[in-house]
Amino acid sequence: MVMSSLAPPQSTGLTGLAVSTNPHHTLAALYCKILRAVGKMPQESSYRKYTEQLVNERANALNNNKNIPDLERAVGCGQVEELIVQAENELVLARKMLGWKPWEKLVQQAPPKQWDWPPAQIMEPKV
Amino acid sequence: MAALIRNLGARAAVAALASKHVVPAVGGAALRMSTCPPTKADKPTIRKPDAVARTHLSDFGRYVAECLPKYVQKVQLTSGDELEVLIAPEGVVPVLQFLKDHHQAQFTNLVDIAGVDVPCRKHRFEVVYNLLSLRYNSRIRVKTYTDELTPLDSACEVHKAANWYEREIWDMYGVFFANHPDLRRILTDYGFEGHPQRRDFPLSGYVELRYDDEKKRVVCEPLELAQEFRKFDLSAPWEQFPNFRNANPPAEVIPPQPEKK
Repeated sequence: MVMSSLAPPQSTGLTGLAVSTNPHHTLAALYCKILRAVGKMPQESSYRKYTEQLVNERANALNNNKNIPDLERAVGCGQVEELIVQAENELVLARKMLGWKPWEKLVQQAPPKQWDWPPAQIMEPKV
Repeated sequence: MAALIRNLGARAAVAALASKHVVPAVGGAALRMSTCPPTKADKPTIRKPDAVARTHLSDFGRYVAECLPKYVQKVQLTSGDELEVLIAPEGVVPVLQFLKDHHQAQFTNLVDIAGVDVPCRKHRFEVVYNLLSLRYNSRIRVKTYTDELTPLDSACEVHKAANWYEREIWDMYGVFFANHPDLRRILTDYGFEGHPQRRDFPLSGYVELRYDDEKKRVVCEPLELAQEFRKFDLSAPWEQFPNFRNANPPAEVIPPQPEKK
């Protein structure tokens, strides 16, 4: 069955994902929150750099496309409800990242020969 | 005679296909392979790694390593096109959460958690997380290591599916997972002792069960083997597969920065 493009869709077709009533407002608020959370990270953090870049792209697409099908086509990452879920996940992640501080240097070098494969070549016994 | 006529018919069909740059090797085979021209004799049983997919995977591996320099020790491709991220044991939860929730990753499915035991290493256990991204149709493997006493962080808060997989690892290898909601045995029998997938666990086990006719019940006794322990030396003096000596590098390391050209 072909759904009318003018009327809002009755369903997303995905189990457990309800149709969003005001997706533009929700998405704009979420992107704003992500940018605020990411902005607390140090400038040289790669995670901050890439996430800001991507969220800015999506926020631009959001501003330029008032029509929902156009927005979905411009972003190209699923329906608008899925975009909301993705943004919520990224927001949770960004806030957790502030605690983890993954931009610091490596916590622990791998012990020598830990990642060698095949392991049969390691002949010396442990200890 | 009938075969000859059929052969002629096949030749005619091949001639019709020849205008589409199809070079037939044998009449019958050319009809089946009308889409891809057989350039030279290649081995159809060996899957060729896809160069484009490999580039995408190594780029993504570099991206993960750049975003999480605190935890990622090494990124490598195995079997030609399988991406592996080798991390420090502190980073299990952050790395899995990043791979699950980041816009560019979305590895929302935890396919499996596996354990590996290599007793000659300082940290003898490897724990391997297999993840699947339905959004981008790709897979990734996250590996970390631990020993008998050091607990790993449980991935249950990230992936609900990790619950039973971690119980399985705990049961089979004895790797302890901190913050696991319900860490119990899952596969072995009631009252079982030991972790049967460890390399030093004997194949026959430590105890045996049998029905005792006098006591009228099943009794559990320490195992008695008729034969003494023997060490089998299975290495042969000749090389088994000389053709594959350099065929398949087990892993190709992806350097952190792409080479300048």
